[in-house]
Amino acid sequence: MKIGVLLKQVPASDSRIKINGDQTGIVTDDIKWEINPYDEFALEAGIQLVEGKIASSLVLISLGGKDAEARIKDGIARGVKAKPEAIRLDDAAFAGSDPLGEARIIAAAIQKAGIDLLLTGKQAIDDDNAQVPAMVAELLDRPQVTFVEQLEVAGDSLTAHRVMGGGQVDVVMSPVQAVVTCDKGLNSPRFASLPGIMKAKRAKIAVWGAADLGLDAGTVGAGAAVVSEGAYRLPADRPSGKIIEGADAAAKVKELVRLLRDEAKVL
Amino acid sequence: MSQPTAPSNPTFDLFNPSEEHAMLRQMVADFTKAEVEPQAEEFDAKECMNIPLFQQLGELGLLGITVPEEWGGAGMDTTAVVIVHHELSKSDPGFCLAYLAHALLFVNNFFYCSTDAQKKRILPKVISGEWIGGMGMTEPGHGTDVLGMTTTAERTEKGWVVNGTKTYITNGPEGHVFMFYAKTNGKISAFLVEDGTPGFSKSHHIPKMGMRASSMSELIFEDCVIPHENLLGEEGGGLIHMMRNLEIERLGLAAMSLGIADRCLELMVKHAAERVAFGQSINRFGQIQRYIGESYAKTEATRALVYTVALSVAPDKHNRLGSDAAKLFAAPVGKEVADNAMQVMGGQGYCREYPVERLLRDAKLLEIGGGTLESHQKNITKDLTRALR
Repeated sequence: MKIGVLLKQVPASDSRIKINGDQTGIVTDDIKWEINPYDEFALEAGIQLVEGKIASSLVLISLGGKDAEARIKDGIARGVKAKPEAIRLDDAAFAGSDPLGEARIIAAAIQKAGIDLLLTGKQAIDDDNAQVPAMVAELLDRPQVTFVEQLEVAGDSLTAHRVMGGGQVDVVMSPVQAVVTCDKGLNSPRFASLPGIMKAKRAKIAVWGAADLGLDAGTVGAGAAVVSEGAYRLPADRPSGKIIEGADAAAKVKELVRLLRDEAKVL
Repeated sequence: MSQPTAPSNPTFDLFNPSEEHAMLRQMVADFTKAEVEPQAEEFDAKECMNIPLFQQLGELGLLGITVPEEWGGAGMDTTAVVIVHHELSKSDPGFCLAYLAHALLFVNNFFYCSTDAQKKRILPKVISGEWIGGMGMTEPGHGTDVLGMTTTAERTEKGWVVNGTKTYITNGPEGHVFMFYAKTNGKISAFLVEDGTPGFSKSHHIPKMGMRASSMSELIFEDCVIPHENLLGEEGGGLIHMMRNLEIERLGLAAMSLGIADRCLELMVKHAAERVAFGQSINRFGQIQRYIGESYAKTEATRALVYTVALSVAPDKHNRLGSDAAKLFAAPVGKEVADNAMQVMGGQGYCREYPVERLLRDAKLLEIGGGTLESHQKNITKDLTRALR
């Protein structure tokens, strides 16, 4: 069984995000990039499946420019014992793709690479869209299992625990030819090791473009996008808190209830 | 005279000269934040080394950082060594000192003076972290005046008979194997001793002001018989190994001061922005601005010096002047910036609840260990004067 793991390069979660002057994106000059944290759970799961000899091989796939190679190498360095292959999907025709365009590119790559089980994060922390994995599954006509916090693979099928919120967990079974999106709690992602880093330095990363994937360039990129971005804005500043004054606790509670009813209008 | 030169390529990143260096820095920073920071206060209080955490360094491949890949190491350079010590010391200089004693004082030193047979016997155990290593140079009566050492090794049929005491040996209490220096026929030779060798013993842990997450003891040799094959390098050639290793060691120690300065600067800037006195943030006061401004400028100068000198130190490249200068400059900066942070933070800085008090105690050692400030001044004057001839 061949495992594919999608890795997306995102700004580090502790980055201070600034919007560029014409509101078309963020200022990337001082951004430190990292692997999307949810993709790290997918990567660790993939590595463990190969190390545990449940899967035969691991392929790391990233849709992104040359600068995303550092993230792929980070993935190779962590998964060094699983000897991962690596593919970067890059073509001028891919620029400006919306989630559906990205899904078309990735789905074509999954088919070309002969991936059985595709693991990815439940969402990327940059735009929080959570669209692409579902679209990839749909395009490949495969089951999708989302928000997975526990995964067991045995033979041709997998059993996954899905976090449903409110304490509810769904346990589902699926053939292994599926798309699984991973959530926090699935595992503890390992650190890269120094021998891994040295091996990643020499690793070859294949680059596949539209022609390699047999994609009609008209189906991807800005021209094919049905979703467009309006403008980027930072959320409004949170108003400062209010300290309720009063002679004693009873008076303060009375005032709090009044404020919740009359000002916040939540009672 | 060797002079570090500024890199001429404007796109050259002095602090991360290659992608591997950047990945290494990220890996160590992630590990430090997730695993090292949470335990630092606890092991400072316990005054002992966190052995499971140390063994994680083995899993990460950091214990043989300078050992070539064909011998199971990572084959990385002095800049990589500086990166690891810099990042670890932002959270726990004491733990980093235990790492330095193992990875530089023992592993790096041993690699460059051992035979293939000795490497095969020892390296796998110390690179994995199964064995903890250390190095014995200082004696109760001889520190900077190292050539005056009185520990002796006499060649006999049954082996080398060693007598003497080494002191202030980091990793002494926990260590399984040590390199040490002793006089043979009046000249200094390097040897290997394994824990459990008859006639070899260790004192109790020696309590100290800072760097408490690493422990130290004496190494005591009483008619201790060491096998002939435990001589490292040529008989009488120990001084060369000792001097060669001191350069990378001093850069590691200088990088630790830089890590302390970076962390303390971050803490004081944050505190000064948040703390309000007389109706405004205390960073509005000129007295506080002086602490912050001077700390920043000195930290940046340290960063530039330490990383620049690192480029000129390698197994086949030497820069004693540079490494002495880097540590002579960095160590007082680490202490001064930690002290400044404590002054800016006032009571919060002085209390053990916050890391500045620990970092200030740790920073002092770097003015003493691996060469006192005075030894660096001596070496620099000697080398500059020699260059006049």
